This record gives sequence, C-alpha cells and structure tokens, in this order.
Amino acid sequence: MGKSLKLLNQSELVYAIKSNDSNILKHFYTTNYKKIETLILKNSGSIDYAKDIYQDAFIAVWTHVKNDKFVPKNDTALQAYLYTIAKNKWMDYLRSNDFKKISSASKLRHFEPADDFSEKTNDDKLKTERLHKIMHTFKNLGEPCKSLLTKFYFEKKSMKDIADEFLLDAASTRNKKYRCMQKLRELALKIE
Amino acid sequence: MNPNNNISQELLETIERYYNDSMSTDERHLFVEKLESNPEFKTQVEDIKILFLGIETQSLKEQLDEFHKDIPKATSKIRFLQFTKYAVAAVVVISLGSYWFFGKPSNQKLYAKYFTPDPGLPTTMSSSLNFEFYDAMVNYKHGDYELAISKWEKLQINKPNNDTINYFLGVAQLANKNELKAIPYLKSTIQKPESVFLNDAHYYLGLAYLKEGNIERARKHLDLSNTDVGQELISKLTD
Repeated sequence: MGKSLKLLNQSELVYAIKSNDSNILKHFYTTNYKKIETLILKNSGSIDYAKDIYQDAFIAVWTHVKNDKFVPKNDTALQAYLYTIAKNKWMDYLRSNDFKKISSASKLRHFEPADDFSEKTNDDKLKTERLHKIMHTFKNLGEPCKSLLTKFYFEKKSMKDIADEFLLDAASTRNKKYRCMQKLRELALKIE
Repeated sequence: MNPNNNISQELLETIERYYNDSMSTDERHLFVEKLESNPEFKTQVEDIKILFLGIETQSLKEQLDEFHKDIPKATSKIRFLQFTKYAVAAVVVISLGSYWFFGKPSNQKLYAKYFTPDPGLPTTMSSSLNFEFYDAMVNYKHGDYELAISKWEKLQINKPNNDTINYFLGVAQLANKNELKAIPYLKSTIQKPESVFLNDAHYYLGLAYLKEGNIERARKHLDLSNTDVGQELISKLTD
C-alpha cells in the first residue's frame, strides 16, 4: 500500500493487471520501456520497432498474468519477464525473412507477432486467430457499443455508473450491453 | 460455432460472473460441474470468454498508445549525435536563463518526480460492504479524481473523522493537482496515530507542502513518514 508506485510489490502488480488499474498499468508500461528501446536500438532496430515490439510483449505479459500462466516468484520477476519476452520477440524478428528481405530497416511496420499466446497446438492457433478477429471487429464496432463494452469489461465499471454516464436506467443499459455483445459476436463470425 | 445459436442474456451474465470470479461457492460449484459434464456448454462458455478477452485486449492495446505518449522523450543517440554538443550548450544557456527568470524550479521538479498517486485499495466486484466508498475507489483508480472526490465528500460529511476517507480525499485532491485542498484532509488523517495510513499520510502531506513551496513543513512531514523515499527526497530538497 501507498508510498510510491516504485515500492509496489509483485502481488499488487498482479492484482492491478487483472483489474486493469490504469494508473498502475501506465506506471508499469512507462517505467520499463527505455531498457527495451535501448536493446532494440543497439541491435539494428528503430524507435518504431521498439514501440511495436514492446507493446506486443506488454500485451503478452498482461495475458499470461491474467490467465495465471505466469506467476511472479521474486521482486522484479514481472519486469524481467517483460524484458525477456520483448527480447525474444526482437530476436525472432531479426531471424525472420521479413527482416532479411529489407536491408535498410525502413518501411515494414507490420510483422506477425511471434507466439503471444504460445500457439503450439492447432487448437491454440485457432483460438489466437479467433481472438484477433474479435479484436479487429471490436476495434471497428462503432459507438455507443464500443464505449459501453469497454467501460464494462475493461474498466470494470459498475452497471450503475455506466447507466449514469449514458443517461439510461440500469435495465436498459443491461439490455443494451447484451445487444452489443450479440452484435460483436455476429460480426466477428462473419469475417472468415 | 453456430452463429444462429444465440446465447441468452442470462447465460451471458452467468459467464460474466464466472469470469469475474464473483460467483458464490455454490453457484460456482454447479457451474464447474456442468462445464465438466457437458462439452456443448463448455464450448459455449469458451466462445463467450474469448469475446471478453478480445474486448479487453483491444481496449488495452488502444490504451497503450496513450501511455506511450507519456514516456519522456530522449533524443535518439544515433541520429542526433552530432547535435549533442550544441544541444548541451543550448540547454545550459536556456536553463541558466530560466533559473534566473523563474527562481528555483527544482523543488517543483522534485515534486513531479516523487509524486505518484496512492494505488488505492483493492475493490472486488462482489463486495457490497461500504458500496459507496469502493464505488468511488473504482473512479479514483481510473484517474477520475473529481468524481471520486465528490462521492467521498458526501461520505465524509457523516464521518468527518474517518481516517480512511480523509486519507483518500487528501491523495485524490493531490492527484487532482489541488494541494491546498489536500492538506486539511491529510492533516486530519495524521490526528490518528493508530491509523494504518499514518506514514503514507505524512509522506503525501510532505509532498503537498513541497508543491505549495513550504519546504520546512515538507521536510518535517517527510521525516515523520518514516519511509526510505521520504528520506531520499529530504536529501534532495533545496531551501
């Protein structure tokens, strides 16, 4: 509790990650970036690559913590884990054909994120594909569904608060949320 | 998965409770039993869970770009190497100038460096005790300090001496860049020497005074905070 975010212990960080506490996520994000930027700049990368790789790694750490795939064992475990994942992703990219094709690392900004979700089996691969489809659909879902679902599922706001923000009563907000989920589900299934 | 196979609102909300870990023990028990015995149900649940994850992941992704803007910009060593010496010279000239112009900005910088909002108390979705208090805590954690303050202020009227409410009102005011309003709340927290927030309240009170420019009081409360960061900060203060 308290003092400074610097002193947050790992279990508090895990809790914050699971509840998407934006203050703490932001702190975790901004304080660990520089090390990875330095690594990538020193190894034939650019600032743009550093940002992409870092964000991919950050999302992977967040997902693993959320699913209890990674449980920190010492005081800097999460920071070290983030660094290792980013480093591996960058090494994978350097070894990839995408990188070999372009001698001057200039244009290419989109490369396949390397196994974020440890897609070892076909089943996992399918799941990752589905997840990407859903993310893409959600990105373009349109308002007010997008805000409503973000507030409920990501920000974990209460139904009552969301209803207040949308100037609706709780029952219609609940109903709207349900219809938005149906819409998202149907649209995500359409992209094949 | 069959797109025509609609999922009812009730089922959606049941899966939400499972995903959020807010089921009662009994409900959870029954739910897990059904998951294990009914593969079709399991697929339905998996389908919905991945929707939740997709929404959360995409929301996070969009938030990361916002976070990224707040990473302090460092000049890229590779590209700007030749400019470094001119840049250094310019910075020296500018900072000497602004020092002369604006007096001593360094304590304000120290404040900026040392102030991070208290992470707040854990809020669990199932907790119904002190609903209003934790409801405001959720706003606080999402950086909506004004809303949190307005909710806590209402509670504070009935419980003017509650150290928890006073403490969080103080840190929320401070996070909302309103150190003058923060000070009275934090002062009232430290009236209770048995409070679990005592050290933290002294620390934030020290920061509030630092922001206000009262270095003597800042030093006193940072010292009383009994924390390493407090001591570290004291050693950097300039009168």
